[in-house]
Amino acid sequence: MSNPIFRLILLMMFFLVPHVSFAAADIEADTPTITNLKQSMQQRHSQLEAFYTSGAVGFTQDGLIAMHDANAVPLAARQLVNSLIAAENQDRIALYREIARANNHPEWEGEIRSTFSQRWIKLAKSGWWYQESNGSWAQK
Amino acid sequence: MRNLIIGILLATIALAFSAYAAYSRPQISLSIDDIHSPVFSAKGIHVSLVDQQWSQLAFHLDEIVVQGKTWRNVSLSCRKFQLADDLMGCTNGTLRLPDFKPLPVVFHFSTKEKFLEISVKPTVDESWQFSMRWDENIWHSTLAIANGQVTRIAHWLPDAETMPVPAKGKLNGRARLNGNTDGITDIDVALRVDALVFSDSSGLHAGENVGIAINLRAIHIPRNDQWQWQSEINWLHGEVFWQPLYFIGSGHRLNLTGTLSEKNIFLHKGSIDLINIGDLNFSGVLARQGHAIIDFDLEASNLELSALFDQVLSPFLGNTAFAEMAVTGKGDFAWRYRNGASESLRVDLYDAGVIDKRERFAFHRINARIPWQIENTTIANISFLNGEILRIPLGEVRASMEINDLNLSIPQLVVPVLDGKLKLANFSALQQENGWYWRFSGELLPISMGKLTEALQVQQMHGTLSGVIPEVSYNKATVDIKGALLFNIFDGKIIANNLKLIEPLGLAPHLTTDLVMRNLDLDMLTRTFSFGNMQGRVDMDMNNLELSNWRPIKFDASLYSSPGSYPKRISQAAIQNISALGGAGAAAAIQRSFMRFFEEFSYSRIGWQCVLRDNVCHMGGIEPDSQESESQAYTMIKGGGIPAITVMGYNRNVNWQEMINRLKRITEGNSPIIQ
Repeated sequence: MSNPIFRLILLMMFFLVPHVSFAAADIEADTPTITNLKQSMQQRHSQLEAFYTSGAVGFTQDGLIAMHDANAVPLAARQLVNSLIAAENQDRIALYREIARANNHPEWEGEIRSTFSQRWIKLAKSGWWYQESNGSWAQK
Repeated sequence: MRNLIIGILLATIALAFSAYAAYSRPQISLSIDDIHSPVFSAKGIHVSLVDQQWSQLAFHLDEIVVQGKTWRNVSLSCRKFQLADDLMGCTNGTLRLPDFKPLPVVFHFSTKEKFLEISVKPTVDESWQFSMRWDENIWHSTLAIANGQVTRIAHWLPDAETMPVPAKGKLNGRARLNGNTDGITDIDVALRVDALVFSDSSGLHAGENVGIAINLRAIHIPRNDQWQWQSEINWLHGEVFWQPLYFIGSGHRLNLTGTLSEKNIFLHKGSIDLINIGDLNFSGVLARQGHAIIDFDLEASNLELSALFDQVLSPFLGNTAFAEMAVTGKGDFAWRYRNGASESLRVDLYDAGVIDKRERFAFHRINARIPWQIENTTIANISFLNGEILRIPLGEVRASMEINDLNLSIPQLVVPVLDGKLKLANFSALQQENGWYWRFSGELLPISMGKLTEALQVQQMHGTLSGVIPEVSYNKATVDIKGALLFNIFDGKIIANNLKLIEPLGLAPHLTTDLVMRNLDLDMLTRTFSFGNMQGRVDMDMNNLELSNWRPIKFDASLYSSPGSYPKRISQAAIQNISALGGAGAAAAIQRSFMRFFEEFSYSRIGWQCVLRDNVCHMGGIEPDSQESESQAYTMIKGGGIPAITVMGYNRNVNWQEMINRLKRITEGNSPIIQ
């Protein structure tokens, strides 16, 4: 189990560090699907970052993202933010499932999701919003 | 209302009586502990008149409660107060409400003429004028508003804590209420709101620069104690976000006609005219308590599906594979709902089209009539002119589908696939607790591999693909194909067994299968991939093949010469390329020896094995691993004949992606590995 977990941590570094600057890394757990999802999330991150900063969007406790404060977004852009959130969450759910599959342990999906959730929050920039374990929102 | 009027009259009479009784004193005052009416209640009422002519009025309420809202310390003062036999008037009053600037007020009240007029002019442009007249049996009241700020009534709106609150906006128009001794008899409202800005605390229900014209008429029918009402609401301009919907523009209209009883709201006729989408007509019954829908009928014809999908449907499909579609065409809908359950639904589509923006599927010129009835069997007719799934083109399809509750079945269906056909039989689908389940049996009539490879944008190949499929089933996002698909390709056969597609239209599609390849012609194979020339035939077993996003991530492959007698020749270019995959030693050896003078060589056997795991291909050669384990080297081509050549591999573990990149460079004919 330690080897897959080690790979998972490496993979997370691969995913999370890039939100500061996506750097290349050779991860054994990488699959074509993960590569695709990573590219998709990278591209979307450039759109989402402003909404993380403004507080409109925050990280949820279950490894996804959600609208935190719609008032921080112009009215006409709120549906766009909804779409970005939905697309990002689809990618994230697929990512967690794919990592579990790549490690030949589909049943790990929940654990991977939980671990990712903590890491997303840990690596979030100062001022970004996240959901605490009791569901309340807090600002980093 | 009647109690209110009586309360006011009594207070006024008491005031007048006290005043006259104390005429000789410069100040008179009146206090009332509390007043209750169906509309409001008030506590701590103090009225005082000062000055010799009683020309100044001071009126104070400790507390007033209206519609559940409480104000404290409400006061009215009047510097020019008139009190005559039957007339009370103020031409220069000031109303003070908590959280508001002092409001200039003028009012007149006559017990003889039976009227009350109150005018509030907060600014030069803004006025709120209330007038009321009555006699023994009836009363009439009117509220006229000119440039009224909607924020002044924000506290009066219901559920201000959970509902959106107006932050800005102007009201113009009037509201008339008439009544008799039993209460209100009719209501007539004509209001226009402009530049309205509202939002709830989350911002998920908000509007900006909204303009709405509202006309509402209601008449009380004493016979059955019901209200007959009708309303017209025109959206003039502005934008509204009502999670997850967003509307902008003008011209949308909502018309409603109905009755209101003690328990229910009866909507006899309703229509919404949505610009760019179309008209929706509806009727129904709603319970006033709990706001539950009891009955509902919805009919819409000739709707523009593009705008309907983008503005109304798509926001609700955010987490599904259908969220990112472009939809075209027109459609009709009819829905009947009775006693809290759907009874029937009909969907008609006219020349519709759906295109997935992630290029997973597309269907064009869809025409369909899909009826559904509870506890009845119906037949749906569906056709489309062409389409594609995972880039594979489909031809025209016409299907009749039997619908029985949520069980769907199609006895026979032919789907043209490229130049072949997929014949489906006994298709059935039903909705289970964990999603849809469907199955069918079928036959794939030969499809040209040339066309298939072109469609899939992979290396062009020739041959055919066909198969008999005893059962294809879909359950829990997995398509399970029982039977075999047969590829007649490279003058041999490839048989795909145990084929499974996991989330084929999802973001992480997986395919698993076992491939058996027999008697493939190496000459055709190597020419197809520009690999250098080889003559001979090979068999290959590729078990446990798994594709992720249509690329291999796992397999156990074993390639070897086919049994039988046939020419076995290999060109120097092919040797160089093979060597490049497994280690450059052999090719370099050729270049150093006299053998470089030969263009072709003979061989007796070919063997290559690859176990792909974690992006690494663990390679082996002709002999089983146990016999070659003493050495890193393994035999890939064993020489035989003249001139003979034996090619050895030296790298047992090769990064798969690196190997694919090398193959790609070789087959593209660029930069040969060894010159």
